[in-house]
Amino acid sequence: MKALVPGTLALLPSYASIEDPVAPLRAACLDAVGRLGPRVRIVSSAATGGSGARVGAALVAAGGGTVVESGETGVLVVGNGSATRTEKAPGHLDERAAAFDEALRASFAGVDLELAEELWADAACLRDLPPLADAEVLYDDAPYGVQYWVAVWA
Amino acid sequence: MKLGRHAFGDDEALMMAIVNRTPDSFFDKGATWAEDAAFARVAEVVAQGAEIVDIGGIKAAPGVEISAAEEKARVVDFVARVRDSYPGLVISVDTWRAEVGAAVCAAGADVLNDAWGGADPELVDVAAEYDAAIICTHTGGVTPRTRPYRIDYDDVVAAAIADTVAYASRALSAGVARESIVIDPAHDFGKNTFHSLEITRRLDEMVATGWPVLVSLSNKDFVGETLGREVGDRLLGTLAATSVCALAGARIYRVHQVPETRQTVDMVWSIAGRRPPLRAIRGLQ
Repeated sequence: MKALVPGTLALLPSYASIEDPVAPLRAACLDAVGRLGPRVRIVSSAATGGSGARVGAALVAAGGGTVVESGETGVLVVGNGSATRTEKAPGHLDERAAAFDEALRASFAGVDLELAEELWADAACLRDLPPLADAEVLYDDAPYGVQYWVAVWA
Repeated sequence: MKLGRHAFGDDEALMMAIVNRTPDSFFDKGATWAEDAAFARVAEVVAQGAEIVDIGGIKAAPGVEISAAEEKARVVDFVARVRDSYPGLVISVDTWRAEVGAAVCAAGADVLNDAWGGADPELVDVAAEYDAAIICTHTGGVTPRTRPYRIDYDDVVAAAIADTVAYASRALSAGVARESIVIDPAHDFGKNTFHSLEITRRLDEMVATGWPVLVSLSNKDFVGETLGREVGDRLLGTLAATSVCALAGARIYRVHQVPETRQTVDMVWSIAGRRPPLRAIRGLQ
């Protein structure tokens, strides 16, 4: 079992607000992580200071699981599409972002990592994932100018 | 903290809105003297999110003598009307008289706000009898409705702590529940502007007593004298003082302007780490 979630820092308990700004995303992430079993291996990149690993670990903990290096019951991949989807996006609007994310939506294989960096996408760990067409997609949106997917592969 | 019928968590900051059934209080100058106007004021502050209303029948400053009978005529039926219409609202009555306290508690009041620091020793017995909360204030021992004149202290904060904690102990001995006792340094009561500024600066020492602290800063003369502002032009100064008291951990804010104070206290509460931001996403996407 394998799942994909984004490295959204707002998912961390230490950054909780009174009103959750990512409530639907959080619900989808917890749903996905809940299907990975009790021992979860996290695959994340070094992007943004390695924050993806922290987010992954927090989600596993919230689901009552344990992070392991091996002997896992499921794999949690942390990554996301571009962060340049709108003028208010973290990386401001880049006109290439929508097409980049659309290409990822079709296939993660062969992602252009150079372009990914220009578009502030955390895509290094996405390359080895099967296509979204083969997954149960629990979330696909870019509410704050960053493209998020939550998906589960059986 | 338990205020009559209502319980609150230790991390909550509460707004106590002033509702005057007086023709002559300094800030509103009789705007809510008519019962219907006072009732409309209650509706307004409830809509603004105030947890408590503090109903007063006598202005604090010197003026025409108001008998206990006249004070009761101003507040008792009004308390009953508010109780009936707003079962979830904490009703406090600003009185120093035990006779008035008993009548308002029978009519549904939750809190006796003794702004004159125990001038009537039987008020604590009334609070105990009705399971009401009591606000123990420091006035330096002055007679109700007198202005401070050449009052001085070796240490105003030490005096305020000693007197309010002693009053709290009296209330406890009389049978008032421990969680229903609140202390108030009483800015400007028995104090000059320098005293009120020092009380504000050192409010953390009052909070450290462990008793929940109420502050009544709203548009008072210490703000006016400090900034050279007349009544009606003291909101900014009031909110600055409010911020300092909030950082120290004051729990109840007796105010004229509810939304402004709420926003100020919420901001400081979050700075102090006692309240999360309402909705933070910037940099966290």
